[in-house]
Amino acid sequence: MIGTKAIIALALAGIALPVQAQGTADIQAKIAQYRHRIELLKDQDAIENLQAAYGYYFDKALWGEVADLFTASGTFEYGQRGVYVGKAHIRRALTLFGPEGPQAGRLNNHMQLQAIITVAPDGRTAKARWRGMVQKAQPNENGQWGEGTYENEYVKEGGVWKISKLHFYVTGFTDYDRGWTKSAIPMVGQSAVLPPDRPPTEIYRAYPGVYIPPFDYVHPVTGKPIPVQEPADSVLGRK
Amino acid sequence: MMRARIMIAAAVAAAVTTTPVWAQDTLEAKLAALDKRITRLEDANQIEKVQRAYGYFVDKAQWTQLSELFTDDATLEIGGRGVFVGKPRVLEYMHKAFGPDGIKEGLIINHMQFQPIADVDPDGLHAKQRMRAFVMSNGGWGLPLYENEYRKENGVWKISKLRGPFTMYTSWEGWAKNAVPNTRPESFAPPPDRAPTVVYLTYPSYYIVPFHYPNPVTGKPFKPLMSEAGAYPAPPPPEAK
Repeated sequence: MIGTKAIIALALAGIALPVQAQGTADIQAKIAQYRHRIELLKDQDAIENLQAAYGYYFDKALWGEVADLFTASGTFEYGQRGVYVGKAHIRRALTLFGPEGPQAGRLNNHMQLQAIITVAPDGRTAKARWRGMVQKAQPNENGQWGEGTYENEYVKEGGVWKISKLHFYVTGFTDYDRGWTKSAIPMVGQSAVLPPDRPPTEIYRAYPGVYIPPFDYVHPVTGKPIPVQEPADSVLGRK
Repeated sequence: MMRARIMIAAAVAAAVTTTPVWAQDTLEAKLAALDKRITRLEDANQIEKVQRAYGYFVDKAQWTQLSELFTDDATLEIGGRGVFVGKPRVLEYMHKAFGPDGIKEGLIINHMQFQPIADVDPDGLHAKQRMRAFVMSNGGWGLPLYENEYRKENGVWKISKLRGPFTMYTSWEGWAKNAVPNTRPESFAPPPDRAPTVVYLTYPSYYIVPFHYPNPVTGKPFKPLMSEAGAYPAPPPPEAK
């Protein structure tokens, strides 16, 4: 990574050409445009690494490291737990997933997969959809499989990409041995001990309920926003 | 993978910026080459996104949106069902096999897209991609393996050929205890336009889906011992490698 950065820095530093021939302006414009396109590719790469780092820290309950990935006013929302604002609140909220640091008999894998990252044309903000696969275990309980969708936002501050908004929509959790046809574990609600700063932004149920997290990106072929018709839910009374 | 591509583009950028004034024609040519190489990086990224978007559409049974990812003349071949030709048939396949648009209460059909190897042809208009699909559903686990083709039409990448042979399907009991056989052309409606391109068995048997790329280190293609028309009924002998 450092090697890459050095090479790119070298390439970009040398870009102001001492050329006075005809067509110089055109060449300068092209180089500026190419430089911007390379920068956007680098941005996408950095965001991919940032979110992957989030997952690896989360796995081991390194809550301080997780919280440090957020902007000062960053938000964290997991399922129906509500919205936590700012690094300090986020760090405290994370202790609801277990004590700080890895523990014997506890598994907290949060895999960060299938990224669709969209960097804004100005390269200052970005959005991404991710798939979260979860493997959970804690002492005296059976293991669980879980799955959900992230719809996150990012901001570049002082040349560094940070998470400005993390929203994990839980699809469902199930008992490792019993599976979806026999086991549907409901989501955890808002904590009375460490209440969130704001209630959940969207109300939905985990499996067997169904919910479509809105797509942040436009359809990759039609270029149009992807319309979402939320499916019927017998408990919430949604037709 | 992406980082390696960026390094190449950056190296080209470095070469361009050290070119002296008198080499104007060469500079133009180098700039054009640079543009092309940056475009290839953007193309490969976009192709990965198209296939990941396909997976997210399956998750929520968004069949109409999914069909819009295909070219008008696209072909689709999934499991052992045979070949379906054209975008309308893609949509018909999904609607008849899985029902109307929209995920239903009590249903989980996660179609997770992992491990892409995307390669853009030198013409910049065609591409191929191998990608693993990992299915997590009410029925259990599944492993299709995609070897797809893509075409750039008016600057937009679309799926021109989707081929997803199955590696393994199992109930929630797991593959040590349960193996669901491959599908066949008559397994469910609608019937295909063409017969399967290859007949093969799924786990516990196996079939090596041909690799569109050569070995990235040796540069040599992997040639299965048997003709493509056959699945492997037994492990290939050592010399097959």
